[in-house]
Amino acid sequence: MDTDSNQIRLGVIGIIALSLFLALFGRLWFLQGIERQEFEAASVSNRLRVLHTEGPRGRILDINGRVLVDNRTQIVVALDREPLRESVSGLDENDADDAAEIRAELSEGFTDMAIALSSYGIPTSEEDIWENYIDKRYAPQEPVPIAEDVPVEVEQYFAERRFELPGVVVERRTVREYPYGPLAAHLIGYVGEINDKELLERGVPVPGSDEEPSSTTTIPDESSKPYLPGDSIGKTGVESAYEEALRGTPGQRTIEVNAQGELLDVVSEQAPERGDDVWLTIDLDLQKKTEDALAARVDSLRGNVDKDGRPTDAPQGSAVVTDPMTGEVRAMASYPTYDPSDIVNGIPSGLWDYFQSPESGFPLNNWAMQGTYAPGSTFKPFTAMAGMRTGFLYPGHESYPDSGTYELQNCESDKCEFQNAGGVAHGTVDIPRSLTVSSDVFYYWVSEGLWLNKDTYGETAIADSAESFGMGSKTGIELPGEHPGRIPTPERRREAYAANPEVFVTEKWFTGDNLNTGIGQGDVLSTPLQLANAYATIANGGAVMRPHVAFQTSRSIDATKPPGQEGNYEVTGTIEPEELSRVEFTPEQHQKIVSGLVGVTQNGSGTAAEPWQNNPTAWPMAGKTGTAEVSGKADTSVFAGWGPVAEGLTPQYTVAVFIPESGFGADVAAPLAFEILAPASRGELTPVCPVREPERSECETKHAKALERAQRDFVEAAAAAEAEGEGEGANG
Amino acid sequence: MVSTTRTRTSGFSARDLSAPWRHVDGVLVVAVVVVATMGSFMVYSATRHTPANSDLIYRHVGFVAMGAILMAGVSLIDYRRVTDWWQVIYGVSLVLLLGVLTPLGTTINGTSGWYRFGPVSLQPAELAKIGTIIAVAAYLGAADRVDLRRLGVSLVMLGIPLGITVMQPDLGSALVFVAIALGMLVVGGVRLKHLIILVILGVLGLAALLSSGALDEYQRDRLTSFVTPSGQSYNVTQAQTAISSGGLTGYGYGEGPQTRGGFVPVQESDFIFTVAGEEWGFVGAGILVAALGVIVWRTWRAAQLAPDRTGTLICVGIMSMFLFHIFENIGMTLGLMPVTGIPLPLVSYGGSSVLASFVAIGLVQSVHMHRFS
Repeated sequence: MDTDSNQIRLGVIGIIALSLFLALFGRLWFLQGIERQEFEAASVSNRLRVLHTEGPRGRILDINGRVLVDNRTQIVVALDREPLRESVSGLDENDADDAAEIRAELSEGFTDMAIALSSYGIPTSEEDIWENYIDKRYAPQEPVPIAEDVPVEVEQYFAERRFELPGVVVERRTVREYPYGPLAAHLIGYVGEINDKELLERGVPVPGSDEEPSSTTTIPDESSKPYLPGDSIGKTGVESAYEEALRGTPGQRTIEVNAQGELLDVVSEQAPERGDDVWLTIDLDLQKKTEDALAARVDSLRGNVDKDGRPTDAPQGSAVVTDPMTGEVRAMASYPTYDPSDIVNGIPSGLWDYFQSPESGFPLNNWAMQGTYAPGSTFKPFTAMAGMRTGFLYPGHESYPDSGTYELQNCESDKCEFQNAGGVAHGTVDIPRSLTVSSDVFYYWVSEGLWLNKDTYGETAIADSAESFGMGSKTGIELPGEHPGRIPTPERRREAYAANPEVFVTEKWFTGDNLNTGIGQGDVLSTPLQLANAYATIANGGAVMRPHVAFQTSRSIDATKPPGQEGNYEVTGTIEPEELSRVEFTPEQHQKIVSGLVGVTQNGSGTAAEPWQNNPTAWPMAGKTGTAEVSGKADTSVFAGWGPVAEGLTPQYTVAVFIPESGFGADVAAPLAFEILAPASRGELTPVCPVREPERSECETKHAKALERAQRDFVEAAAAAEAEGEGEGANG
Repeated sequence: MVSTTRTRTSGFSARDLSAPWRHVDGVLVVAVVVVATMGSFMVYSATRHTPANSDLIYRHVGFVAMGAILMAGVSLIDYRRVTDWWQVIYGVSLVLLLGVLTPLGTTINGTSGWYRFGPVSLQPAELAKIGTIIAVAAYLGAADRVDLRRLGVSLVMLGIPLGITVMQPDLGSALVFVAIALGMLVVGGVRLKHLIILVILGVLGLAALLSSGALDEYQRDRLTSFVTPSGQSYNVTQAQTAISSGGLTGYGYGEGPQTRGGFVPVQESDFIFTVAGEEWGFVGAGILVAALGVIVWRTWRAAQLAPDRTGTLICVGIMSMFLFHIFENIGMTLGLMPVTGIPLPLVSYGGSSVLASFVAIGLVQSVHMHRFS
């Protein structure tokens, strides 16, 4: 081998070395000069963690600013199973043998935990904690709550024994508090952990879900109150309807961490903010009166039978009070009810099963807007209006001799004779009297007349009239879950039959169907709220208002003072009364309906005259009883009305009461309605006080003093008046 | 002057133009100083945030100082005096290398590659690389031609330490022996035909080794994980993230978030280059690579200027060793090369590596300085 060859070989090695170095430079430039931004993002996501803290929810206040729903901090002892699993790794808790071994391994720690909790007055056994350990409803890395709402001493106890009892974590969380207990539970609704569906609807990707977030809603980054899994959200009632206002603005803390996840630096911090307070149109005193009266009435019915021996089980009942001029809901009661403080940490599965069982009466349902019932005779004003608007009834052709039975003029089926309730004859009845005495025969006559002249009046004269008052569709109240009710028409019957031929007997609409519809029976269904709103339309002269339960949102100025205190809040939003439509009628037509309904309570022959006399409101009322027949069961008792109704007085309250399986409208619903409105009409509602001490005593003392003062003033004023009268007498 | 083999003595020794100290390669010295200084700062930055590693910087600087002295000492000795003892050097290297497989050795991360003396541990593979280079250079340099016999003997001389490192298993070091062998044989004058046959045999032999039952499962896994890098992606991703986000000028010394947060695993040794990339950016990392390139270049130049084949082969062996270390180490942090645990010469924390690198440069310097002696 010669030297030249050696030099060539060395040269080759040199070239190889040079190319390797050039490769390093090239790659270095590619990474640092070209790809930099991509990797910079990776570096940021490596070291920066954004911690999300939910802001406290806004409070819910009544119309006078009393706090109906508040927040409080709760201490929760939970079991973090991750560190425990490490000590029993390799064992499968789904295998019976392994499970026994795991339990034996962990038993000592669990027993210590149980003894500690029990010594603080939270009865717990090793068995209970084991059940929590194997609870499949929680994700493996998610702590399982063992004891909620524990005293602060328990937190200290476990904090000191962090290393002796691995797996015990003590957390603080904010939950809802209800100063007035179960009052207005259905209206308020409840809060729960946001579920996958709700996350996807808000454009938040769900870990472990294949579904794409909904693209029609706002992108989470654009929302000022973004959600993350585990956050709370209003599920029902006002909590859901006003979620956007009530939800606090989450706080964001950006921290820099090292590879072990330890904090190096706080990069930025934005504190969470409380959500807005929502002011309800509800008057707590009236709400309390309504709920108590309803509950007492239902309880008194249960276990009894009606005149025909059918049990008055009254599985539920509901009552709504609204302001007819604005649509504001003043009280909304549904029975049976539940205590929302039982479910601030979610609905325990045992309780959930009970809530879904018939014996509980489905207390989570707000029957006042989710229950649908035949309105019975309370429907008659709409039929009367149909008769007048079509021209079937007109001056000179608007009374009918009521003999107690009605024979069809054009009988197509086997049932050709219809009767008044009890076969009572009312004599000659005109429109007002037909309402006052609730003559079925009169409405059979109107209903058949409308049907026989359907070529002139149309097939749907009665339905059109009822629907113009808002019957048969949702009222548009902001609370979720409202039922639209139902108004039957020949067309709808055909459609229903075509969709499900096996369910229905016929697709044909008979004259009898028009008769049943005309008296609010047959297929007619209404919610209590819907009927109240329709009567409000009669009361206010034809405006169909959108019912609503809140009138403004606000933010406290000084967080230490009560949120409803005068001058301590700024209004952030208002909910104005909204007129959805107007019902067309002449003043004469309106007057006939109103005078008939006033007669119901004020005329001696009125169906609700006696109960009104027994418990009169401060002013005259208009209203209508309804007794809807349900085959095989006791009647649904209904009353709808308003007051005051007198020259120069603005209607103040609309009321609707429905109690199924209870009896006549005049016997159950009407007395209940007067029981609610009588004290309200006189301004004599008992002030409601918080359930918890010492607030309860303070509140009661305050009201007692106010009452005393008022009585003293009254006595003094009376004495002064007397003295003055004597003086006058002396002078005279 | 300590030289006893002066050939052309005239006048004062101070005027002796062949005196070795007159021929010190200053460029190499400067490059080594630059690399070792940058390396010390990098080790400090990589270790300062971990309390358990807080004393590493002192040890590292201590090793660098010791290495510098060793380098100076070695460079003053004529490399021919060193190669005279090649059999002894080679023998000691093998004994030390074999010893780690006995209970005297210590296993770290599954590799039996260390002797532990209290707080200090010695990795004999690093020294064995140099011992083997000296031995092979002396053996091949003694003859003008590499016939089949010499080829065979030198292959055995390279194959034994290679085999032992495979058994440890220390794949990185084993590959270094392959690189050394390739460089020295090519420049040593092996016929191209033989070289090609050798490469083919090597590949076949590796395949046979993997498929036979001679290796334990974990040894085989280590070897195959080099080419199928599962489980390495986290390290590489973190390393590339650190380097790339440094951009042109870096985050500044001590400010690299990936370094500060300890996101790059074994950053002080295997992934030390990421510190330069992240904190000094393309400019700083480029200077480091360039300085390393200068070391390789000066070693190559020393090989070219060497007065005899032994000197050339020593330099070529060392150049191959450095080249492989540098390209593999930096290449893996950049995602160019698969990951294997191999230090960056003069930069990575690790006493044996630092000392061996300085000794190797001392040898190169010796060849350069004594080329006229």
